[in-house]
Amino acid sequence: MSEQARPSAEIAQRPGAGVRRWMPTLAAGLSIGEYARSLVRRLALLTGILLGAIWALGAQGYFWPAWAWLGLVVPVLLDYTAGWAWRHPPGAVRRVACVWALVSVAAVILLLTWLLTWRLAGVESFWPAWALLGLATAGSAYSLIALHDRVLVAHGRRALRARVDMLTRTRREAVAAQAAELRRIERDLHDGAQARLVAVTLQLGRAELRACEQPELRELIRDAQREAQLAIAELRDLARGIVPPLLADRGLGAAVDSLAARYGLGTVVDVRTSGRLAPAVESAGYFVIAEALTNTAKHAGAKRSWVRLSDEHRALTVMVGDDGCGGADPDGSGIAGLRARVEALDGTLTVRSAARGGTVLEASIPCG
Amino acid sequence: MRVVIAEDLALLREGLVALLRENDIEVVAQVDDAPGLLRAIAGHEPDLAIVDVRLPPTFSDEGLLAAIEARRRQPALGVLVLSQHVETAYASELIGEDTAGIGYLLKERIGDVRAFLDALRRVAAGGTVIDRQVVTELLAPRGGPSGALARLTTREREVLELMAEGRSNTAIAESMVVTPGAVEKHITNIFAKLELPACEDDHRRVLAVLAYLNVAH
Repeated sequence: MSEQARPSAEIAQRPGAGVRRWMPTLAAGLSIGEYARSLVRRLALLTGILLGAIWALGAQGYFWPAWAWLGLVVPVLLDYTAGWAWRHPPGAVRRVACVWALVSVAAVILLLTWLLTWRLAGVESFWPAWALLGLATAGSAYSLIALHDRVLVAHGRRALRARVDMLTRTRREAVAAQAAELRRIERDLHDGAQARLVAVTLQLGRAELRACEQPELRELIRDAQREAQLAIAELRDLARGIVPPLLADRGLGAAVDSLAARYGLGTVVDVRTSGRLAPAVESAGYFVIAEALTNTAKHAGAKRSWVRLSDEHRALTVMVGDDGCGGADPDGSGIAGLRARVEALDGTLTVRSAARGGTVLEASIPCG
Repeated sequence: MRVVIAEDLALLREGLVALLRENDIEVVAQVDDAPGLLRAIAGHEPDLAIVDVRLPPTFSDEGLLAAIEARRRQPALGVLVLSQHVETAYASELIGEDTAGIGYLLKERIGDVRAFLDALRRVAAGGTVIDRQVVTELLAPRGGPSGALARLTTREREVLELMAEGRSNTAIAESMVVTPGAVEKHITNIFAKLELPACEDDHRRVLAVLAYLNVAH
């Protein structure tokens, strides 16, 4: 017998195997819960058939087993609906599913009872109507209350995400617009007020040449010229503070080369950027490097310093390091100002500065 | 002396033209952009071009690049570049290999018309004029001391700045209200501190200063 090797066949050969083949067993790999449910279903089915047979073999007449069947259907139905309800995620959704499971069981009981009273007792009216309406109303009301918060929270999250997206975009646009506007102001200062003042000093110079016979007049003209030149110098400083001309004209690489040379620290500059970046990104990068080099020159007492620039992975990475005395405060006012400027562009700025271990400042700014 | 002027602001351009004509300098062409400058130089073969660094259409550094290109095409041409900013990188680029007939001045120096006209003549004659502000920038690195330059006194720095402008000892003495003898003493000290070979000729002095500054840059 080749089938003897199979476990089910082995079980079938044990004493009482006839019952066990029909009844579920724990040995078949069922959990206790599943075993109990399976047992209940089969016992209900068995009892239903048994009562039907007794009615058929007995006096027949009034079909009373229908009421027993109704009683047997209820636990089975409860079992199925409870199983269905439990498959929902825990929380409000599962609670609502449980309520609907109960409502549907109750509705089935009502409908079946009505069916039996109509068929067996000849009741004409559809009496469960109000009860069913009540059940449906109660279930709906509960669902509405229980899921109300959940719907609101989901809606709130979507709204929040949309707002964060919008704020991120508009902040970026605002910073970019500000940078563009600052460059326009710088250009206007240069081509407008500054150039006109230069023309004024030129005309004053011509006037001075012609007034060589009148020393008082010459002195007046010279005073006017000095004032005009001071105004030009002030405008120049203002424009340079907004955006250094070399940065506006040639971009970050050239501006940083020039900047590093001006500090006279022998800074090694390694530029690996291709082409021009957005004005806001260029300016932020430039001022980070300028501040870092100022700190190096003032405090570090470094023998070597370096600047590295790269624009890989759609972000400008700026690294300024030295081998000086270290101990820089990562939350000092200068660095905090730079961090604010970098973070306004969704960038990050970190400072590593161990005592006597040099200082490395690193900023990463997304290129948009 | 025949001059071409490249400047986009009409007010300033016309003022310059008037100034030069009043002082018997012939303005053969006045243009307001870089291509115009190159055409004017090819057409008129002037002795000197006065060029604004920023010119249309982008108003960045077209003027400077056009001036360098003009020099490449006509090495004998004197070029005086006017800028509203001191940018040592631009000065270095302009000076390049050959310092003869090169000038780089802040625009507002035009106001001091005598010195400006003097600078024009020196550049046209093959001299070198560098704005004292460029020298100041190069001499005053921010932060720590930078070797030999830090050893100069304030007076010596002033003298060095005026020397870079190509001024003679007499002119420097007048400007600083000291005797020419005092200026000479300062110059001897500067050369000693910067370890430059002492020499008499004005132009060679500027070259010596620039050679040093280029190393520093």
